[in-house]
Formats: sequence, C-alpha cells, structure tokens
Amino acid sequence: MTYDDYLAGEPVIVTAALTGGVHGKEANPNLPESPDEIGRAAAAAEAAGAAVVHVHAREPNGERSFATERFQAVDDAIREHADDVVIQHSTGGTAAPDDVRHQPLRTDPPPEMASLDMGPLNRYDHLTSENTRALVDSLLAEMRERGVKPELEVFNDGHLNEVHGLLERADVADPPYATLIFGGGTLTPPRPENLLHAIRNLPEGATFNTLGFGRHQLPFATLGILLGGHVRVGLEDNVYYRRGELAESNAQLVQRVVDVAETLGRPVATPDQAREILGL
Amino acid sequence: MTCPFLEYRSASGDRSFDVARAYCTAASAFVQPMRADICNDRYDLQHDRDCEIYREHADEATAGKAAGGAEEPTVDADEDA
Repeated sequence: MTYDDYLAGEPVIVTAALTGGVHGKEANPNLPESPDEIGRAAAAAEAAGAAVVHVHAREPNGERSFATERFQAVDDAIREHADDVVIQHSTGGTAAPDDVRHQPLRTDPPPEMASLDMGPLNRYDHLTSENTRALVDSLLAEMRERGVKPELEVFNDGHLNEVHGLLERADVADPPYATLIFGGGTLTPPRPENLLHAIRNLPEGATFNTLGFGRHQLPFATLGILLGGHVRVGLEDNVYYRRGELAESNAQLVQRVVDVAETLGRPVATPDQAREILGL
Repeated sequence: MTCPFLEYRSASGDRSFDVARAYCTAASAFVQPMRADICNDRYDLQHDRDCEIYREHADEATAGKAAGGAEEPTVDADEDA
C-alpha cells in the first residue's frame, strides 16, 4: 500500500477502538463500558463511517474482563444495535495467563477479526505485557481454527521483524494486516518519517492500519490516509477531541477522520468493502 | 491480599458512578481498570511489587496496619473470570 493507492482513491477502512482495557470512565465519562453502552457506541461509530469496531470487555464495575461470556454479551449488544459492522476482539491483556488470553476467541459465532500483539510493551513503571512468541503462535493457531482474521499489532519496529518471522513459520491468510502503532514508551516514536520506514519494512503484499496514541491520533490517521493505509481512532487510544477538551463519543472521533478522508478525496469503506479488502 | 489503599467507592468529589469502582486512597483518585488488577493482586500481579503508588506509600500502609488499620477493601471487587 502506497501513496499511489491514495491517488487511486482506494477506500480507507476506519476502525473504532471503542473502550479498551486500560482506562475507563474515570478518564472520560463518555467511554462505553457496559455491553449496552458498547453496542450503542458501535452503532453510532458505524453510522459515522467505521467499518470495524475493536472491542474489549468489562466487568460491571468497569474493570477488565477476558471472559468469553462478557465478550459474548458485548457482541450480542453490538449486533442488536449496529447494522453490519465487523467485530474485532482484543486478545491483549497485561499479566493475564495465556489460557485467559484465548477466551475472547471463543464466542459464538467467533469474531471476524482479533488482535494479535506481536511482542512486549511496557506498562506503568513495573509492568510489561510480555506477548511471548509461543503465545502469539498459540493464539494464531486458534484464530486459524476458528476462521478469525488476525490484526497484527506492531508496537515498535522490532515487531516488524516478528511479523516477517510469523509469516515464515505460520500460515496467515492474505493479505497480512498490520496495525502500526505510534506513541510514547515502548511504541515507535510518533514521527512521520517513522511511519514511512515502517511501511517500507512491511512484508510484500501486506495491508496496514495506522494508530497514533493521544494527541497523535488525528495526525497519524491523516498520514495513514495519505499513504494508502487504513486508520484506527477511538476512546481506547485517545480520550480527547482537542487539547483540554474531552471527546464526546467514539462517533465524534470517527466522524472527524471520515471528514478528513473525504476532504482528501479518499472514500470510506463500508463493512462489506472492508471484508473484501481484508479477505474476511 | 489486596492493596491496603484500595477502596470501592460510588462517588468522590464531583465524580459518581452507578457501580462502585476501585479508588486509591493513597493517590486520592479512582484508578484505571487495568490498575485495579494490580490493586486486587489478580493474575501474576502484586501491588507491592508492581504498583509504583503503593511502593511510594508503603511506609504509610505499614503504619496503618500497626495502628489497626483495615487490610481488606471496604467492598470486594468482582473477580475476572
């Protein structure tokens, strides 16, 4: 995927990361946590132009849950409220045991997509999300078994090596789909040239998604649109609309990036177009 | 054991929630959901090893216990399945 894809007017897939598992309503009261809130947020994001929703599950008190039952409740609510949006489950989870990390894949039906973290990520001062290669392989194996498309989450450039290695040792359905993530800490530094380098280092034929944390969300989404990639926005990654102003909703963040894409002349993919592009 | 600074509160200042949420009495703030895993020592997490806030206030926690302070949170959290 390149600038030529932008010039050719290839559709851009907008993913809305609705809730996440790190922060909650204590960070932004508009962040959805309950299944019903997430379902309604998914519908609003879809109406604004999102083709994919990336979801985590929560306990009633807002705390993280990896349980199949909680993901099932979220999916049921999304299907009740939204039209035809693609559901993508997170399999991420700092310190959660490996068997727990598999549980989001076991809903009925399984999600069309699921995230697959390609390696470690530091959290706070004393924690690391390990994401060992053995766990990556076992999650991918279950995704293949259940027909789930992996979204390869690349936290830094070293994880691009892991993507190449994964494709050499495992069978990943075409096209490989990698989310390139930019921000602080263990993430790739949020500099435009680093996005260009990451794109150059992707495997042949790979499709990419662009994710900037915090205030980098809008500029990196814009860069992703211009460079022929896809984009992810949402309250999981950024709770502000602009400096000092909390976002009103996921849909508001989706609408803004849809407006950018349309202003730049790139059409926004429908869920069916996203399925075709991603080979779902 | 859970963190001695953990409480579950439905309100604090101008913030209120329908369901009680993890509140750090050392930081005087509601905590992020992921930090609540540390507060509750879920999975392989331990508040005295993994939480920088606890480590900064460990002396106060020890003093509170010596003075008969509570070791358990006021309201138990739901355990992740």
